[in-house]
Amino acid sequence: MRPSSIRGLAGPGALVLLVALVAVAAPILPLFDPVRQDVANRLAGPSALHWLGQDEYGRDVLSRIIWGARVSLTVAVVAAALAAVVGTLLGVLGGYFRGLVELFTVRVAEIVLCFPPLLLALLVVTLLGPGATTLVFSLAILFAPGFARVAYAETLSARALDYVTAQQALGARTPRILFVTLLPNIAPPLIVQFSLTVASAMVLESGLSFLGLGVVPPSPSWGLMIRGARASMELAPLLLFWPCLALTGTVLVLNLLCDRLRDVLDPRGKAAGRPGFLGRLIALPPAPEPRQAPGLLSVQGLTLAVQSAHGPIEVVRDVGFTLAAGETLAIVGESGSGKTLTGLAVMGLLPAAVTPVAGSILLTGREGRVRDLLRLPEREMRGLRGRELAMIFQDPSSSLNPLLRIGSQLGETLRAHGVRDGVRERVVALLRQVGLPDPERAAEAYPHEVSGGQRQRVMIAAAIANHPRLLIADEPTTALDVTVQAQILALLAELKRAEGGMGMVFVTHNLAVVSDIADRVLVMYAGEVVEEGRVEDVFAVPRHPYTAALIASMPEGDAERLTAIPGTVPQPWAMPAGCRFAPRCEMAIDACRAAAPPLAELAAGRLSRCLRWKEMA
Amino acid sequence: MTGALVRGEGITRAFHRRGGLLSRGTSMLALRGVDIAVHRGEAVGVVGESGCGKSTLGRVLLRLLPPTDGRVLFEGEDLDSLPAARLRALRRRMQLVFQDPYGSLDPRRTVGAQIADGMVIHGLARGTEAAGRVAALLRQVGLDPDQAKRLPHEFSGGQRQRIAVARALSTQPDFIVADEPVSALDVSIQAQVVNLLADLRAELGLALMFISHDLHVVRHLCDRVVVMYLGRVMEEGSAAEIFRAPAHPYTRALLAATPSLRHRGATAAPLAGEVPSIARPPSGCVFRTRCIFAQPRCAETVPALEPLPGAGMRRLACLRATELP
Repeated sequence: MRPSSIRGLAGPGALVLLVALVAVAAPILPLFDPVRQDVANRLAGPSALHWLGQDEYGRDVLSRIIWGARVSLTVAVVAAALAAVVGTLLGVLGGYFRGLVELFTVRVAEIVLCFPPLLLALLVVTLLGPGATTLVFSLAILFAPGFARVAYAETLSARALDYVTAQQALGARTPRILFVTLLPNIAPPLIVQFSLTVASAMVLESGLSFLGLGVVPPSPSWGLMIRGARASMELAPLLLFWPCLALTGTVLVLNLLCDRLRDVLDPRGKAAGRPGFLGRLIALPPAPEPRQAPGLLSVQGLTLAVQSAHGPIEVVRDVGFTLAAGETLAIVGESGSGKTLTGLAVMGLLPAAVTPVAGSILLTGREGRVRDLLRLPEREMRGLRGRELAMIFQDPSSSLNPLLRIGSQLGETLRAHGVRDGVRERVVALLRQVGLPDPERAAEAYPHEVSGGQRQRVMIAAAIANHPRLLIADEPTTALDVTVQAQILALLAELKRAEGGMGMVFVTHNLAVVSDIADRVLVMYAGEVVEEGRVEDVFAVPRHPYTAALIASMPEGDAERLTAIPGTVPQPWAMPAGCRFAPRCEMAIDACRAAAPPLAELAAGRLSRCLRWKEMA
Repeated sequence: MTGALVRGEGITRAFHRRGGLLSRGTSMLALRGVDIAVHRGEAVGVVGESGCGKSTLGRVLLRLLPPTDGRVLFEGEDLDSLPAARLRALRRRMQLVFQDPYGSLDPRRTVGAQIADGMVIHGLARGTEAAGRVAALLRQVGLDPDQAKRLPHEFSGGQRQRIAVARALSTQPDFIVADEPVSALDVSIQAQVVNLLADLRAELGLALMFISHDLHVVRHLCDRVVVMYLGRVMEEGSAAEIFRAPAHPYTRALLAATPSLRHRGATAAPLAGEVPSIARPPSGCVFRTRCIFAQPRCAETVPALEPLPGAGMRRLACLRATELP
């Protein structure tokens, strides 16, 4: 849970607590007896003695509001608790066992949902007679199906999770699985449902009391107060106002608590917007002077930071590389190396939490103009995406709109960049180019109707539709089977030949794929470039211990035992002071731990961030 | 082949998909008559691409899924005929390690409590004794015993996989199914976990079924390899033999498709097309639609898994086994 969202919980939480405390403390507060009548002063306005005035029998309104809160809250909370227990039990059992159990629990509960709630409550109260106990039961019956539905849905998705299967594999009995493993994990939405239910139970309770079917007079209740005040509405309108204010206020506060609770309990957190162009500009210092002619793409001193409670954390630090037209550069690294963020930064698609704090990304456009993508307004950037640079992602199924036919999505891409005539023919030609077996039919298909490998082909077709000069591929084959991966890699190589001069940045964690497709390789570790060079040079004689260890840990050799790199990648907020790889490095010496080593140029285009690179051979 | 610890005979497993408003429900066979045996202390690798049924096979052998047809024997006892209580007790001796180290641990309970689960369930240890064993297990998988009180999200993927291994070991099992246990991990961490499994196997004499899509990883860990495609076994043999000379056209393609550091430049895609849907498998040999050696007769006869002449324990399901170049 994040501290910021817990702070958001404090306000409404304190208010709800205040209401509850006042209600609980009613007997010890210096209040008038809520049922003592004073007919002489009936309908008297607010006074020093009676702050909120007196009602149609001269009873103190403040006292009745507070005692009424006791009744309303008790009925609402007890009813919601009862509904929660019964409903959750039904839902969990139905969701876990399915079949007949589901029929008798969840489906039966759903029948209750079909009745209009007020009508059902009326029926129950008529059958059992009015009174607080009856009210609790009828409200519980009304609200239990809501819990059953939430618990059922959550159980359905949780029962297939690995850690539930793990309990079965361990030989756990069903009750243990249900109550030790399942229930705590489905609790958050149920807690939210609970606070929602308390609020609606209060409203319904007041409604029933207003109709004379709830709390029996002269016991105070907000609904009864409204009922009483209605008769003298024209003489003393304030009498109607107070209970309504109490009811509305309490329900609002409860709903607010609900909202905040949902934010706190939802691990995904609130959706944050993207910072605008201005927001990004402010954070960025002016671009450094270009050190050399940019080629197709030149990234210089790129530093990306994530804002955290302890200030900005640099997740990518001082990354630079150049790419010539027609060249393929592989960026390789483990999770947390910053390879994907680097690719996204070039596309101008960084997640909202990540901001560039230094560096430049220079792209030479078709007409020879050099632009700094890091400082380009979003509107201009949008014009470049697709035309000058395009991207393919790891997961092709989440990158395509499931509701649109493949052909119309591709057509959209073409039209967005001004193709007007012969869109359909172009679409079919593109699909043929990326090797879809039946392009005419594929254009008419929805994304779910083709396989994962074919979806990736469609994504590639969309990326190359407008002949971009730069293609960024972020782990495009990781989600695919090896035989399909080989096909996609072959396709990308083929397209590069066909689209003469297209440069490609290929982001991957797989060294073997790098040797397959790339000319040059950039090895990243913990947000930094540690080595760069031509693929054959780097793989033949790695000049950084991390690269060497990665190659050695590939399960390809004949060695009986794999070479493992000890330890784990350091967390971004706990980077070692010196070389970031030093804690896991067999060659580390004291100098490595003292200061961060610079990126040394060993030969033209061959870089290493290791103090001892000369000793590696 | 007598005295196998776990033996599956003719295992078939169907999954049903309920039909929609206008479509009829479909039935898919994830496994079709698979025979498999895992001996005491042996490591068997099961390899294949998505949809080949390798994960289903692991779950059927552990009786987490009942087979639609065929039977599973654990030390000669048919799991299907066992009473529920006896089966639950038997679960102590067979365990599962999952692919996704993020989904396989309960996010709301401490790792110590989860590792102790198996001991508590089977009444092996409680209280301080269980805590002591948890500490020993954590040490055994290379973690700090003081971390038992932490929640899963405080660990990295590789560490979580070690925790999952510790949980599987907690009941002192004889047989562990590891379902793609390193696929979700970084390369440098994969090697750590593969080595850990190799060490534990040697140390504890575990029988291991290692499910993977990566032939290279399997080679380092396993004595024997079973190659599957669309719910059927294509080839079976010792790991060394299969790597030296893969015989079945599919095994050859699988090996050729795996990119390697050893050769530069694009790997030629050895297979066209993709794995057919298991709802509509090809007739005859399920691989024939992508096989470069396929002949008309491959569409008519389902090849049986038969010993390859003059190749020891090697078995092959190919009509052209003896004529392949």
